Amino acid sequence: MREKTTTLYLGPQHPGITGNMMVKLQVQGDTVVKAETHVGYLHRGFEKLMERRNWLQSFTIVCRICVPEPDPNEENYSRAVEEIEGREVPERAKYIRVMTLELARIATYLLWYGGQSGSAGLYTMPQWSVGDRNYILDLFEDLTGGRIYHMYIWPGGVRRDLPHGFKDKAMRTMDYLEKRLDDYDKLMFENSIFQKRAKGVGIIDPEKATEWGVVGPPLRACGIKSDVRKDDPYEVYDKLDFEVPAMEGSDVWTRALIRRFEIRQSINLVRQALDKMPSGEYYNKIPNPHKWTIPAGDAFVKTESARGEFAYYMVSDGSNKPRRVHVKGPAYVHGVTLLENLLVGENIADVSFIMNSLGTCPPEIER
Amino acid sequence: MYNDKESQKIVDIIQNFARKHSLFVLAYGTGCGAIEIPPTMTSRYDAERFGIRGAATPRQADVLLITGYLATKTLKRVIRVYEQMQDPKYVMGFGSCAINGGMYWDSYNTINMLDKYIPVDVYINGCMPRPEAVIAGFVKLQKLIQEGKADGWDRYKKNLDEYRANQKKIITNWVMPDFNR
Amino acid sequence: MSENILHNEQKLLNLLEKKFLLKESRIIRAKRVEVKVEPKEVIPVLLYAKENSGYIHFAHMSCVDWIEDGEFEVVYILWHPEEKINLFVKTRVPRDNGSLPNIDFIWRQANTYEREIREMFGLRFEGLEGRKEFILEDWNNIPPMRRDFDTEAYVKEVFFHRLGREDAKDVREKIQERTDEELPDFAKKYSRD
Repeated sequence: MREKTTTLYLGPQHPGITGNMMVKLQVQGDTVVKAETHVGYLHRGFEKLMERRNWLQSFTIVCRICVPEPDPNEENYSRAVEEIEGREVPERAKYIRVMTLELARIATYLLWYGGQSGSAGLYTMPQWSVGDRNYILDLFEDLTGGRIYHMYIWPGGVRRDLPHGFKDKAMRTMDYLEKRLDDYDKLMFENSIFQKRAKGVGIIDPEKATEWGVVGPPLRACGIKSDVRKDDPYEVYDKLDFEVPAMEGSDVWTRALIRRFEIRQSINLVRQALDKMPSGEYYNKIPNPHKWTIPAGDAFVKTESARGEFAYYMVSDGSNKPRRVHVKGPAYVHGVTLLENLLVGENIADVSFIMNSLGTCPPEIER
Repeated sequence: MYNDKESQKIVDIIQNFARKHSLFVLAYGTGCGAIEIPPTMTSRYDAERFGIRGAATPRQADVLLITGYLATKTLKRVIRVYEQMQDPKYVMGFGSCAINGGMYWDSYNTINMLDKYIPVDVYINGCMPRPEAVIAGFVKLQKLIQEGKADGWDRYKKNLDEYRANQKKIITNWVMPDFNR
Repeated sequence: MSENILHNEQKLLNLLEKKFLLKESRIIRAKRVEVKVEPKEVIPVLLYAKENSGYIHFAHMSCVDWIEDGEFEVVYILWHPEEKINLFVKTRVPRDNGSLPNIDFIWRQANTYEREIREMFGLRFEGLEGRKEFILEDWNNIPPMRRDFDTEAYVKEVFFHRLGREDAKDVREKIQERTDEELPDFAKKYSRD
C-alpha cells in the first residue's frame, strides 16, 4: 500500500530549547522521509554591523551571536585580534579566561540537560538543572556584572580581576554542582524511559563523521578523539590536566554520556584553573579605542565550545574597523546538512530530541 | 441584563481579576530574551506562582512575548501568530531591541520599533532583562489588566489600517489571510 | 620556532608546490598553511588535499569583498585531523560577473556555505543547487554583505526610529548646545553652569 506523504512544519516558533528555526518535514505516517532546514528567523547581519563599528565596538556585539553560550565568541574575537596584532596576554588573564570558558561550558551543559530531557517529556530535569544553572550565573554576575552577556574576555586580557572572595565562592559552587550531578544521573541517566528514548536514535555514520563536518560532543560520540583544546591548544589548556572522552555508539544516548562526562571534567578544570592561577596583571592595556588600528592580515581561530569547534575568520585591512569577521558555529553544519540527513527515517517525536542532542543553535547559523 | 453601569463595573472587575491571574504565555522566542525565560519559569524565580505558564499554541495563549530583536522574516510570522490569538491578548516587548532597535539599530534585517507593527502593552528594558525584571513586567501587566488599561488588542482593531500599512512597508510579499476584526 | 616543529607544514607546501601552479604559498604560523590559486585550480587542489593528503575535514569557507581591487577573495579552510594543520586555499574572482566552481560534491556541507555566499555577496557558483533564499526573504536590494550596500541608509528609508536616536550620533556637540530649559528637572542639578 502506498502511504500518503504529508508536509509538516516544525517551527519557526521555538522547537524546544534551541531557538527559532523551521524544519520542513515530509512525513509518511509517523516517519520522516525528507527534512529541510529553513533558517533566517534570527538574522541580524552581525558581519555587516561589524564592518561599521570600530574594533572595540565590535567586541561588545560579538557575545550576542550565540545566546546560550556567549563566552567562546568573546574568546574567539579577542584571540583573533591578538593574533593579527601580536598583542601579548598576561598569564593570569589566560587562566581567568580558561575558568570563564569552563564556567560557560558548565552553564551550557546544564541548559542542555534541561533541553534534552525536556524534549523527551521529562519535565523535572529542567526545573533542577536550569535552576542550578543560576548558581553559575551568580558567579558570572560577581565576576563580570552580567548574567548572560559578560563582555569580559576582551583583547589584551580580561576586563576585571577576580573579585574578593570569588575563589571560595566558585569552589563551593563547584562542590555543590558535583553533588547535584549525581542526582541528575538518578533522574535522567538511570531512567529507563529516557534510555529507551535515547538509544539507537539519530545515529551518525562514524566513518563519515569527520568528512561531514561533525564537531564537538557528537564527533566524540562517534569514537573519534577530537577536541580543539588538545588539537590546537589555546590559552593554558596545554598546562591543565584533562582527558578527551570518546565512546562508540554515535546515537543520542552516547552523546548524552559524553556530555555527562565532560561537565564533570569542566568542574575539575575550573578547580585546576583557580588553583594554578598566578598573581600579576590581568590586562594588557589597549590604546585609545577611537584611534586603535590593527595591521592588515587575517586569522582563523578556534575555540572548543560546549557544542563543538567555534571558529572565527577575521580579516583586517589596517584600518580602525574590521574588514570581515566571519563566524562559524558548530550548528552551521549540525543544524543544516547533518540534521537534514539524520532526520530521515526517524519519528516525528524524536525530531526536537535529536536537534537538542546535536546542539542546534539557530542564532549562530544565520548570525 | 447588565445594562446599568454599576453592575457592568462589577462584572469588569471580576473578569479582569480572573484574567490577570491566568496569563498563558506563548513564548515565541524571537531573540536573546528567550534565554532568560527558562530561569524565570524554573525553580529559583518560579513565575508560575503569578499564574504565568506556557501555552503551546497561539490560540490558547493570552500573552505574546517578543523576546528581543525581531528580524523582518520573523515579523511576518509574528503578525500571523498575533492575529491567531484570541481576545483579550497582550504583548510584551523584551529588551532594548524591541524598544528602539538596541545595538542592532542599523541592521538591515531587524525592525526598530515594535509598537509600530503590533500594539505593545508592556516594555521591559535591559539587555537582557533579568528574570526579576521579567517578573516585574508581568506584575505591571497584571496591574494594567486589573485597571482595564491593557487594551492593545482593542487598539489593533481600531487602527488596523495604520498597522497594516506599516507592516506592508516591510513585508513586500504579503501572502497571509486577512484579519477578521 | 625550529624547522623541526614545522616539518609537516613544510612537507605539505612542497607537495602542493610540486603538483600545482600556486600563485603564492606560505606558512603563516604553526598549524596554519596558506596557498593562493587561480579559480580554475580550486577543485584540483581541494580534491588532492582531501583524497591524497588527508585534509578530510572542511572547516570553513568565507568570502571577503575587496571593493578597491574589484575582487572577491574566497577562502576554503581545511583541517587535517591527524597532523592538526589548517590549510587555507585562497582564490580571487572579479566582483562583477565572477563565478566559482561548485564544490558540494566534495563536501556536502559546502552547499550551505555556497548558498550563503551566493545570497549575501551575489557571487555565482556554477551548478549550485538548492533554495535561492537561505537567510533573507523577499530581498530585492543589492546583496547586503557587499561593501557598497549602505545598511544605515537602508534602515533610515525602511524602518521607523524612536526619537532620541538623532542626538545619539553626535552627543558631545548636542549636549553643549543644549540649554538648561530643555533639560528634565532631575538633570538640571548636574548641568554645566
